[in-house]
Amino acid sequence: MAEPATATPAQLIKSKKPFLNETRRSRITAYTFISPFFILFAIFGLYPILFTIYLSFFKWDALGPMKYVGFKNYHLIIDDPTFWISFSNTLIMALMGTVPQLILALFVAVMLNSAINRYKKTFRLLFFMPNITSIVAVTLVFSTMFGNNGMINWVLNSLGMDNVAFNSGWWGVKIAISTMVMWRWMGYNAIIFLSGLQSIPTDIYEASRIDGANRSQQLLFITLPLLRPFILFVTLISTIGSLQLFTEPYVFLGQSGSGATRQEGVTMVTYLYNEAFSNGFFGTAAASAVMLLIATIFFSVLNMVLSNRLGGDTGGKEA
Amino acid sequence: MKRAKSWAVLMVAVLMIASLAACGGKNNTSSSNATNKPATTNTDTAAPAETTEPVEDVVLSFWSLGTTNYEDLAKEYTALHPNVTFKFQNTSDQTAHHNNLTTALSAGSGAPDIFMLEIGFMERFIGAQDKFYNLNDLGAKDIASNYLDWKWKQASSIDGSFQLGLPTDIGPTVAYYRTDLAEQAGLPTDPDQFSAAIDTWDKFATVAKAFKDKTGKPFTDLTDLLFNGLRDQSADEIYFSKADGSFIGDKNPQIKKAFDFTVKGIQEGWVGNTQLWSPEWNKAINDGDFEVMLGPAWMAGTIKNAKDTAGKWKIAQLPEGAGNWGGSFLTLPKEGKHPKEAFEFISWLVSKENQLKSFEASGLFPSIPALYDDPAFTKGDDFFGGQAIAGEYAKSANRVKPVYYGPLHDQTDAFFKNALKNVLEKKADPAKEWDNAIKQAKTLADRS
Repeated sequence: MAEPATATPAQLIKSKKPFLNETRRSRITAYTFISPFFILFAIFGLYPILFTIYLSFFKWDALGPMKYVGFKNYHLIIDDPTFWISFSNTLIMALMGTVPQLILALFVAVMLNSAINRYKKTFRLLFFMPNITSIVAVTLVFSTMFGNNGMINWVLNSLGMDNVAFNSGWWGVKIAISTMVMWRWMGYNAIIFLSGLQSIPTDIYEASRIDGANRSQQLLFITLPLLRPFILFVTLISTIGSLQLFTEPYVFLGQSGSGATRQEGVTMVTYLYNEAFSNGFFGTAAASAVMLLIATIFFSVLNMVLSNRLGGDTGGKEA
Repeated sequence: MKRAKSWAVLMVAVLMIASLAACGGKNNTSSSNATNKPATTNTDTAAPAETTEPVEDVVLSFWSLGTTNYEDLAKEYTALHPNVTFKFQNTSDQTAHHNNLTTALSAGSGAPDIFMLEIGFMERFIGAQDKFYNLNDLGAKDIASNYLDWKWKQASSIDGSFQLGLPTDIGPTVAYYRTDLAEQAGLPTDPDQFSAAIDTWDKFATVAKAFKDKTGKPFTDLTDLLFNGLRDQSADEIYFSKADGSFIGDKNPQIKKAFDFTVKGIQEGWVGNTQLWSPEWNKAINDGDFEVMLGPAWMAGTIKNAKDTAGKWKIAQLPEGAGNWGGSFLTLPKEGKHPKEAFEFISWLVSKENQLKSFEASGLFPSIPALYDDPAFTKGDDFFGGQAIAGEYAKSANRVKPVYYGPLHDQTDAFFKNALKNVLEKKADPAKEWDNAIKQAKTLADRS
């Protein structure tokens, strides 16, 4: 016997499996509410990523037809010494710009945290300022300072040292660019560390003081271990960020108006940018973007593995 | 829990398909791009009416580059043709300007009716003939003879059948020199005599060395411009073969000559060590730290920024010939719906009288040789000690020879310039640097 076509609501509720029951309805509501992110991510994040991977197997100048070339683009960039120079430059500058910067940021945060409470907000703002100034403007100011006859060289000269070729020296360029990166991110990371420090309950410190711990012991055995999640987060973000270094080298070394960034300062992103927008080789650019993606994943995983290993011990063996 | 998961998977799948459908379609849906053509009376599609006065209202979008007086001229044009109005988008950022067009063309929507194309980016687009109107079909052939031959050819296909753009301004190269320093070093201060004193590169080098010995200052400001001076005198082609586009930089004797000459200058100490466009370079211009700058016509603007040096500069000719750096073309991307009206406008915009206006208003040096006898050109320029500088530029413009660049010219050029900077700043071995530049250039050329 078929059911009557017009079912009353009461019958619906009793029927075996109504499609829209309470749980489902609330789930749909929930997914609808969070869907904007996923929709936007799919259009502006996922699709470009997938298209980049697809594009890396083609030869394309963005105007003509796309031509399938298989793995040729990958061969071209792997055989290109400049690509490997860009890879090593990126890693070197990542280390130079990150390691001292994070140590400095931690010290600044500890200082800020123990400083007088009255000016905390002002200091926080001051340290955050570099991060919100235009990178291009910052780079131009630093370029002037790092010029052949710029301020830095003048200081070095007055200390009796020779000029450093910050525009063209293998290390000079890297020092200049790392300095800009440090200046820009130190405050930002210090603010993150500061919020981490403020999440540590004060009674732990009090307890340790009663046990007779001095300042440095407190830093070593309480602050650092409890800050670990923040340190790991900041390290991961900095790693990913420094692999994508672009504006500083591009502006710093691009002032002569030439079409290519000098080899001493070429990073993976300036390499792929030039490849796409100066040379019009979108295929090889996409292939180098994929290589960058692989490198980023590799270093992030390495980061996680190391931090899990570090997380294995209960701290206190920092050295 | 399981159910939730399957829902999530379904959601993501739906989103993916939706987004792929949204982006995958190559149809001309208008994007929410601010540069899109305004949705006015777009009753196009039909061929333009064959009347002299079309009644249809036309809005032409125009992407212009740098400082021009084109917006004022466009207003004049609208006064003459009330049915044609303009929407301008101006930028001074060359790279972004041309990349925007590349994006619009490859997306198939968003390109303007009229695009101002800089010569440095010409080769990127000259091959994309399906994306632009051939101006020869619209009547460009009839006006070709008004313009400098080499300039016209820069925007033509190799066989001349396709004309991508109409010439706007040019950048003929001259030697800007300081009369006060010349006097100190015992060099002639009169432009003709100065030109004669350096009319071959060998003489140039001799004079330069003598100047350095006498004053202790470099003769010329930096490696890049010196290298350009010789490089641009290369016959027919520079780094790439006109016939098949292959890399010939290692076989072109003029490139080697330019490189070696610059190296000689470095070794003899008469080339300055500054970066082009850097604050230090501007300071050197201002302080009179060098004698000669080999620069194009528009470089006068940069020199005039050093106000304190007014009256101390004059203009001479380069040794052995001339070169050209810069200048633009007006092109009509195929996405535009009003090629006829657009062409009428651009041919009016770069006509003789309007190029003269552009020269007077914005210093755009005209590409119409007939103008060079115009009274406006024989006027003296106070900054240059009353010298009739336009005449010098015109002299240079008439000496420029057509030369083929190739799409990778800029990049390739950077390799050689970086090599020269290494020789200058790091005392690198010139032969090694030359080989390295060639190697880099070949690696790049292998990709095309």
